[in-house]
Order: sequence, then structure tokens, then C-alpha cells
Amino acid sequence: MKTLVCVKQVPDTEALLSIDPGGKWIAPQDAAAFRMNRFDEFALEEAMRIKERFSGRIDVSIDSVSVGPARVRPTLKESLARGADNGFHIRVEEAGYISPFDTATLIAAFAEKGGYDLILTGVMAEDDMACLVGSLIAEILGYPCATAVISQKIKAEERRIDVEREIEAGCRECLQLDLPAVLTIQSGINSPRYSSLSNVMRASRQKIPTISAEQLAARQKTEQVSALFYPEKRSGGKILEGTPREKAQVLLRELHGKALI
Amino acid sequence: MKEMRITVIVGQTGTTVPPVTPEAVSFARELETHTGGFVQAIVLGNDVVGFAHHLAETTGVDVTGIESTRLALYNGEVYRDTLIKFLETDGPAVICLPHMAFGFDLAPRLAVALHASCVTAAEAIRFSNGRVGFVRSMFNGKLKAEVTTLREKVVVTLMPGAWSRPARRPGSRKQSVRIVKPDVFPSASQTVGIRESDKDMLNFDDADVIVAAGRGIGNPLNIRLLKDLAAIFSKSGIGASRAVCDLGWLSYRHQIGITGQTVSPRLYIACGISGAMQHLAGMKESRTIVAINNDPHAAIFQVADYGIVENLETFIPILLSEFKRQ
Ligand SMILES: Cc1cc2nc3c(=O)[nH]c(=O)nc-3n(C[C@H](O)[C@H](O)[C@H](O)COP(=O)(O)OP(=O)(O)OC[C@H]3O[C@@H](n4cnc5c(N)ncnc54)[C@H](O)[C@@H]3O)c2cc1C
Repeated sequence: MKTLVCVKQVPDTEALLSIDPGGKWIAPQDAAAFRMNRFDEFALEEAMRIKERFSGRIDVSIDSVSVGPARVRPTLKESLARGADNGFHIRVEEAGYISPFDTATLIAAFAEKGGYDLILTGVMAEDDMACLVGSLIAEILGYPCATAVISQKIKAEERRIDVEREIEAGCRECLQLDLPAVLTIQSGINSPRYSSLSNVMRASRQKIPTISAEQLAARQKTEQVSALFYPEKRSGGKILEGTPREKAQVLLRELHGKALI
Repeated sequence: MKEMRITVIVGQTGTTVPPVTPEAVSFARELETHTGGFVQAIVLGNDVVGFAHHLAETTGVDVTGIESTRLALYNGEVYRDTLIKFLETDGPAVICLPHMAFGFDLAPRLAVALHASCVTAAEAIRFSNGRVGFVRSMFNGKLKAEVTTLREKVVVTLMPGAWSRPARRPGSRKQSVRIVKPDVFPSASQTVGIRESDKDMLNFDDADVIVAAGRGIGNPLNIRLLKDLAAIFSKSGIGASRAVCDLGWLSYRHQIGITGQTVSPRLYIACGISGAMQHLAGMKESRTIVAINNDPHAAIFQVADYGIVENLETFIPILLSEFKRQ
């Protein structure tokens, strides 16, 4: 059985993010400021668990794929270190915003050739927060898809997967999907493990093939970021100034004033 | 030129109108003032007649109810295939859904089928130079983006709470309600049921004060600090971001947010929480919000009444000792 895990490299959201002079994307960041999208860590771990569950019975391979400029390669290495068997880099030249539609079109074209039984993504990317790529891949390929998956039970022999997706009010929707299928994985489905030493060693040696985006599919212009800006501060909200002690005193005074203490 | 059609899609989840539905109508009306055209709503479900009339009366829009036993539970493929026949019209169109489990699942499916652009979690409309832009959060809310679409049709999901409910429009023209019962076909996926999750939830109803932990607490030992802070208030509880529950530092019973609990205590103290919209959706109605975060640009400060840019590990002990000195 072949699984594909889509991993996105995102800037660390805790880093200082400044807007580039063009005003449409963040200014270039230091390579160290990028990491794997956390939701994708859960997707990769889920693929590992499927592989382990079938170990000795059904051969499960895990490929990872990432769309982006050259700087995304360490994220693919990271996916190998965490246990993926192969990593593939779909290279686009620009370092700015790539729309979910473009990303999905490229991954779908790549995946179609690979004949994957199961494609996993994180439920959301932490940078654009779109929650789109997985569903778009499924729609382009005509595969069934479940989003925000919080548990899965794959029945490889029956070519079926049973999943629960998280909906509001603490409820879950239970679905059965025929394979091949796409799942977008919700955080908390598992606890992602750290990379093992042997996988880190293997990852450092292993080649990551590059596929150029142009060879795969034509980019489709569907939407674009026309401006990126800082949110307005809430009127009435205060940022307390001074030493930590002064801030603590002001806060306590304010809370007293509101009869909260 | 063809008129702009603005369609609000409502998945029926019972007999009451979900609060996000009137919000979506507000969005549609706001858009209509810029683009012209007309607003309609489509309701899908198993038993939609009463609901469809209620929706038409309370919002003043024409409603099409699509009814089938196969639509009783949401299934993305079945809903897509059923809806597409009603949405494949000539000319410009905007189709809007709530940015919830149902809406963000369905939106991209409709977008691909309709060759439409897709924008998720929109929070505001910007209109300039004859173009509509949608404002949405990025990077856990630290930045906002204006997204413009390049196709004739657009599917957009709306952040819950971003638009207010429309005022009733009594005396406006009579709305039409149409009920259709199309053939609905099974697909390569079936929704077999809804399960109440086994997470039992903490009862925060009695808590005047919630001290909430985010990933920024750094390690589970620091929960002690938050408990000490909570202890200075008489009726208090400990909340958490999803990240903290995913890490196993606190159980999911504590989770606040769109997939956890919605709370509105008199005081909410967010410690090491970035302020992603899914968290804010669960606590932004709190009467007073205090945020302690060492990143001055964290989105949580956009909703905080009192922002404290400090390392919580050092600040909370200072706060506690100042409290004791008083
Ligand atoms: C469908 C869906 C549903 C979701 N539902 C929910 C939900 O119900 N509830 C929820 O919370 N999330 C939910 N999320 C996840 C949400 O998007 C965020 O990932 C999550 O809220 C982040 O949690 P956090 O703020 O604790 O962590 P982070 O975003 O990692 O933020 C940590 C913060 O701590 C600060 N910090 C770090 N160190 C310190 C220090 N020493 N002192 C002070 N501050 C420090 C950092 O500056 C940062 O701002 C959902 C996501 C999806 C896709």
C-alpha cells in the first residue's frame, strides 16, 4: 500500500514577521525561522502508525512531498528523519505566497502518477490557515475525502477506511471511504514521535528528487494576496508599560477596580 | 451583463437556525451593496420545510429547500453533487458558507466543481477600484491578508462572529420559498452517523475567572503557576488551548475554542496563547481579557483589555508576590 504525506514548510509564527516592501507577503526570513507545519507532523505520524499496524502483513510505503522553493528541502529531510521512506520536492522558484489551488494542482499531478492508496495532509497550514489543500487534491483527483480526521481505521484488504471527523460541540461525524482517499488530519489524533537516530542518519544521506513545477502542471490563477497588513489594535485595549513589577501592580489595581479580586 | 447571484448555503442541523446563518445573510447583503445582484439561500436536509419558511421570514431572502433522506447527515460528496445542479448558472456568483466543519469541508469541493475561486475564513469585505477583496487572518492572526479572486465564481467561508445578525426586515416584499426533492445518489464515501465525543467537558459555568494555558507555558510543570494564579480568585477554573491538550499537558476537558468549549467568564487570563482564531472563537466574549505573552505581535493582544508582554515564567511569580504584599 502506498501512502503520500504532504508536508508544508511554514515560518515559525512566533518569529518576528515583517511585511516585505511589495506589501503582499512577508519579508524573506532566515532559514532557521522555518519549520514543518505542526498539523502535518500529525499526518506523518498517522502514516507511520498505519505502516506499523500492517507490519509483516502488508507492505506500506510512506512518501512525503513538499511544494516550495529550495529552502523547503530541510523540511523534507525532517520528514525522512521522522520516518518517511522517500521525500519529493516539487520546486517552484518564487519564495512568496503560493495559493492552495496551485499547491493542490501540483501535488495532484504528482500523486496521480504515483498511484497512492492514501494521501494525508494536515487539516490546516499555520501560515495561510486556509484548510484547503487536502480537499482540493481530492477533488482534482476525484477521490473521496474526509477533513479534520481525529481517528481512522484502515481496512486495507477491503480497500476501505473508516474515519471520525471532528465537528463542533464535541461531536464526531463517522464516515466510510473507499480507497484511494484523502484525509486531512486534525491535531491530537496521535502524539508525533521525535526522529530516531537511525532515521536521522538515513535522512542525511538520502537523495531527495526534485521535480520542477513547470513539468508537472500549469499554474492556475484563482486567487491572490493583494495586500498583507498588520491587524488594527483593539480600541480600548491597553498594553501595560514599565517593569514587570509595575505591570503587576497596575494589573492588580485594575482588577481590584473591576471588583475581580 | 449577468446579475451577481449571492447564495448562502445552510446545512440543516436541527430545527433552529444556526447563529451563523443570519451572519452569512448579513455578509451577503453587505456584498450586494457593492456588487448588486440578488441574495438567496439554499437549505439542505431531511426535513427542511419549516426551517426554510422560518429562514425566509427572519432574513427576508428567497429560500430554496432541498430535501432528501440522503441529506439528513452531512456528506461532502453527496452535498456537492446535489448542490452543483443549483449553482451551475451562467454569470458571476458568490457562494457563502460558515467556516465550520461543514463549511470548510464543502467549500473546496464546490469550488473545484464550479471552476470557482475559493477563499476561506473571511472576516471582512474590502471594496476598492471596482474589486471585491476578502480580509482573512494568516500566521495565527499576527497578520491579515486581503485576498482578491480571479474567477467569475467565488466560494467563500465566513468566520463565525465576523458579521452581525441582520435586523429583521418586516414589510419587505414577500419572500418565496421553494422546496425541491431531487434524486440524491450515494458516493464513494458515506456518513454513517454522529457520535458524541467521549471527552467530558469541565463545567465552567460557575467560574468567574478562567486562567488558560497555551503552548507558551513551555512545559507541563508550569501548570502549577497557573493554578496558583487561579487560586487568588474565589471561583476560578483552568482552561487550555488545543495545543496544550494535544501535547497531553492538560486533558481535553479543559480545551477552549471552536472544537472545545465556548466560555464568557468575567475575567479570562490567557497565558502563552497566540490567539489563533479557533481559540478566540471560544473566549472573545469574556468580559475582561488579560493576555500574558512574550511576543508583542501575538494576535491575542488584539482582543486583550490588558496586554502584558512578558515571559510568563517570571511574570506570574512577580504577580503572585505583589498580590500577597497587598
Ligand atoms: C479545525 C480546527 C479547530 C481548532 N480548534 C481549536 C480550539 O478549539 N481551541 C484552540 O485553542 N485551538 C484550536 N485549533 C488550533 C489553533 O489553530 C492553534 O493551533 C492553537 O490555538 C494554538 O495554541 P497556542 O496558542 O497554545 O500555541 P501557539 O500558537 O504555539 O502559541 C504559543 C504562544 O506562547 C507564547 N509564548 C512562548 N513562550 C512564552 C513565554 N515563556 N511566556 C509567555 N508567552 C510565551 C508565544 O509567543 C506564542 O504566542 C484548531 C485548529 C483547527 C484547524
